[in-house]
This record gives sequence, structure tokens and C-alpha cells, in this order.
Amino acid sequence: MRHVATQSASEAKPLTEPVLLILTSLAAQPRHGYALIKDIEVLSGGRVRMSTGTLFGALRRLLEDGWIERYEVEDTTRQKQAYRLTAAGRRHLQVELDRMKHLTRAGFARLKAAEAL
Amino acid sequence: MKRAYRFCLLLYPREHRDQFAEEMTHVFEEAFAEGRAQGRAWYVRFGFAEITGLIGGAAGAWLDRRCAAPVPAQSPAQGCMPQELVEAQQHVDASIAAMVHAIANHQFERARLLSNQEREARENLRMLQEKYGREKYGDEHGINC
Repeated sequence: MRHVATQSASEAKPLTEPVLLILTSLAAQPRHGYALIKDIEVLSGGRVRMSTGTLFGALRRLLEDGWIERYEVEDTTRQKQAYRLTAAGRRHLQVELDRMKHLTRAGFARLKAAEAL
Repeated sequence: MKRAYRFCLLLYPREHRDQFAEEMTHVFEEAFAEGRAQGRAWYVRFGFAEITGLIGGAAGAWLDRRCAAPVPAQSPAQGCMPQELVEAQQHVDASIAAMVHAIANHQFERARLLSNQEREARENLRMLQEKYGREKYGDEHGINC
């Protein structure tokens, strides 16, 4: 019962920017830590350069929540571990992107309405 | 800077260090090696971002760890717990709170000492839980009398 309540609360809560960027980066393919930092920099148009402290704090929480998992590749060492999205992580990213799309549409519609006045 | 980075990693809980310290150091070194040619301004910005990121990350990891294993402070069943077990748990909680406070105030040497103190307190709690029976007193679902 408690678990269900926690799940719905976390689903309803908007994702933080680091989490959204990590999930978006992993949506295309599995990546290791440094590749994530580089891809996030590209994704954000150079605006976000995530520190290792922020990145691994978010990765730890995402692993605990089961939104991502470690991905075994042949040359993976303890120093270079890859991560990939789980089905739950993909679902949460989809929900968040839908929410943002809805908000963006509503925002543009209101701007347009205000300009028309 | 690498030495400062490794030192700051000591601020994290042991579980986090066991799981990620090697990987974090490797990623840090990769980023450092790639960017160091960009000059002094980059070096200062990078160093500042990394160190503050580690401090924030360590504080977050301690808070998450504390939230993950809550012990009800005023549980109606607490009267059934042996006093020394209650005190041991309070000691662990107090050590964590002091450590988070030290990290937030950039008192890293103190935080490191408190980390050792917290480890000892947790070990003491674990032994007491074994003494009184884990299922009865240490279960995350609450305390059964």
C-alpha cells in the first residue's frame, strides 16, 4: 500500500533537469558516465555541463528506483560502466515529455491569444 | 586537483564509494584530460563545479541513506525496545546529522572524522540488533512487540 502511494507520488512529480537530461540521453542508446556528460552538453546546447557529483547522484537514485540498469558490454570495466533505460524509465520519460508538450502548447496558445488582443 | 577530488569522495557514504568511486574518478580524469588545454579560466570553473558537485552529491547521498531506513522517533511501540538499542539508533542519527551539517559548512576534516564515528555507531547498532534479534527490532516495517 505504501509502495503504491510512493509510486504514484513520484509519477506525478515533474522530473528534475539532471534526471530528464540523463533519461533523454539514454533513450537513444546505452552510455557510460563520460559519454553521458558529453551528450548532455550537446543536448542542452552547451548550457549544461554536469559535474560528476551531480551525475552519479542522479544515476544512483535512478538505479535504486529501477528506471535505469547497468548494461554489460564486453569491454566494460568497473571504471567504465554503461547504463541503459529500463521499461519503467522509458515510461516515466514518455509521461514527462507528454506533460512538457502539453505545457508548451498551452503556453504558446496563451501568448498567441494575448498578441491577438 | 585530483587529490582534492579523491579527498572529497571520502565525504560520501561507504556504500556509494564502493559502488561508484572508481568510476567517478575515471570520468573526472577523462574530463580533466580533455579540457585542461583550454586554459586557466576553464581549470578554475571546472574545479569549482566538480568540488561543489561532490559536496552537494555527498550531502544528498547521506540524506537519501537516512530517508531509506527511517526509525520512528516516537513510535508507540518504542517502549518495547531496549533502551540501549534506542540510544544506539539515536547515536547513528546524530552522527549523520552532524556530518551533513559539517559538509554543508565545508568542514571536510570534521566530516571525515564524523564519518568514522558514524561507521562505529552503525556497527554498534548492528551488533545490538543481532543481540536482541533483527526481526524483532530492526525490521523496516516497524517494531513488533
